[in-house]
Amino acid sequence: MRNNIIWALVLGFIQIPLAAGMAMILSRRPKGWKTLRTLYFLPNVISQVALAMMWLALYNAEFGIINSLLKAVGLENWTHNWLGEMETALPAVLIQQLFYIGYFMIIILAARMGIPDSYYEAAEIDGANILMQEIHITIPMLRAILITTMSLALAYGMRHFESTYLMTKGGPAHSTSVMGIILYRNLGALHYGKANAIGTILVIIGGTVIAFIRWFFGRKESASEATQ
Amino acid sequence: MIKSGMVTAKTTSFGILARIGKWTYLIFFLIITVIPLIWLLISSFKTNFEFETQAFALPKVWQWNNYAKAIQMAGLLRLFLNSIIVAACTTVVNLLVASLAAFAIAREQFRFRETLLNIILAGILVPIIALMVPYFRIIITLKLYDTLPALILTYSAINIPISVFLIHGFMKSIPKELEEAALIDGCSFGQRFTRIIFPLTKTGLVTAGTFVFIYCWNEFIYALLLTTSKSTRTLQLGISFFRSQFVVDYTGMLAAIVITMIPTIVVYIFLHEKIVSGLTAGAVKG
Repeated sequence: MRNNIIWALVLGFIQIPLAAGMAMILSRRPKGWKTLRTLYFLPNVISQVALAMMWLALYNAEFGIINSLLKAVGLENWTHNWLGEMETALPAVLIQQLFYIGYFMIIILAARMGIPDSYYEAAEIDGANILMQEIHITIPMLRAILITTMSLALAYGMRHFESTYLMTKGGPAHSTSVMGIILYRNLGALHYGKANAIGTILVIIGGTVIAFIRWFFGRKESASEATQ
Repeated sequence: MIKSGMVTAKTTSFGILARIGKWTYLIFFLIITVIPLIWLLISSFKTNFEFETQAFALPKVWQWNNYAKAIQMAGLLRLFLNSIIVAACTTVVNLLVASLAAFAIAREQFRFRETLLNIILAGILVPIIALMVPYFRIIITLKLYDTLPALILTYSAINIPISVFLIHGFMKSIPKELEEAALIDGCSFGQRFTRIIFPLTKTGLVTAGTFVFIYCWNEFIYALLLTTSKSTRTLQLGISFFRSQFVVDYTGMLAAIVITMIPTIVVYIFLHEKIVSGLTAGAVKG
C-alpha cells in the first residue's frame, strides 16, 4: 500500500514533468527530433516482460552492466545487489519504469504542437527567453493535457504490477510489494474474498484519485478565472 | 525581425546554457532508452565466459549459435504460434463485438444510449488487475481454464471499452445523409452496417485492431493467471520462464529475449507514424 503511493507519486510528479520537459524540447524541433521521438518511444512498444528480463540482467550483481560500470570507474563501494537488497530494490524497480517516458511524452508533444507558433513569436518580440516562454505559454496552455496525463500516471501507479512481479516478486522481504502482487498472492492461495477486497480498494482508490485531481485542478481553474 | 531576435537569444550566455542543458537532457534519455537494448543485443552474441568477464568488449567471435540454441531451448515456435493465435482471434472477436456496439450507439436512437456509452467507457479507467478474481472464477466456471479460448475471451472483453471508444468516434463522424440515402434505396438495418458504415470506418477499425493486437501480444498478467501448462503458454509468459529454462546459459537467454523483441520492433519501425498518431488520437480525449 505504501509502495503503491510511492509509485503513484513518482510516476505522477516526477515522470510527467520529465516527459513534459522532453516534449517541450522536442517541440522546438531540434536536429533529428523525429528520430529522437521514435527512439524515446521505442521501449514502449517492447513488452514489459522482455524489458523486465533485460533489466534483471542489467542489475545483476555479478555481471550486470551497472555494477561493471561502477567498478570500471573505481566506485566499487557503490556496487550493490540492486534487486536483492532491502534499500536498493524499490528505487531500482522504480527507476526501471521512471525513465520510460515515451508514452506520456508523445501525448504531451502532440498537444504542444497544437499551440500556434505565433504565441511564441509574440513572446520572443516582447523579450521573453525560451524558459519564460515555456513557463508562461506552454504550461498554462497544456494544463488540461497535463492533468489528464497526471491522472493516468497516478492510476498506473496504483495498479502497478508487471515489472515488479517479474523483477522481484515483491521481495526482498516485501520491500517492493504492491497491492497487485498481494492480490495475486491471495488469489493463488484461493482467498477469493481477500483478493476481491483488494481489487475493490484498487478500483475505489483509482476512481477517487482521478476525481480528486479533476476537482482540485478544476477548482483552481475557476478561481483563476474569477480573479481575472 | 523575429529571425534576428532568435540569433541574439542563442548567442547570450543563457542561450548557450539552455542549449547545453537541452542536449544533456536529450542524450541522457537516449542513453537510458537505447543503450540497454544495444548492450542486450551485443551480449546475446557472446559466449557465457566473455559475458561474465568482459562487460564492455565486443564478442571475439559472434556466437550465432546462441540463437539456434535459444530457439530450440525455449520452444520459441510454440510460444510465437500461441501468441499469434490468441492475438489474431481476439482482434477479430473484439472488433466484431465492439463495432456492432459502436454502430448501435452512434447510429440508433434509444433510451439510456448516453448512459450505456458512458458505462462502457468507464471500463477504460478500471484497473484490470482489480478484475483478476472475477475473470478467474468465470473462466473456471466455463471450464476453460488453461486453454487458449480462455485468453481470447478475456482479452476480447478487456478491450471492448477502448475499441468502442475509438470506433464510435469514427462512426459519429460519418454524415447521416449517407445512411438516409441508403435507407431510401431500401437498405435493411444489417445492410446499412455491412455496406455503408463498416467500410467507411475502416481507419477506425484498423486503429482499434492495432491497439488490441499489440495489447494481446504484450499481455502478461492474465496469461499468468489463466494458463499453466507449457502447451498454452504465450510468448510473454514464456519469456518470464526463460530464467528457469536457461539456468546457466545466460547469453542464450538474452538471445531468446532479443528474438521476442524483433517482431514488435520491426512492426514499430514500419508503422510508427500510425501507432503514434493513433495513440495521441486515443489519449487526447481520454
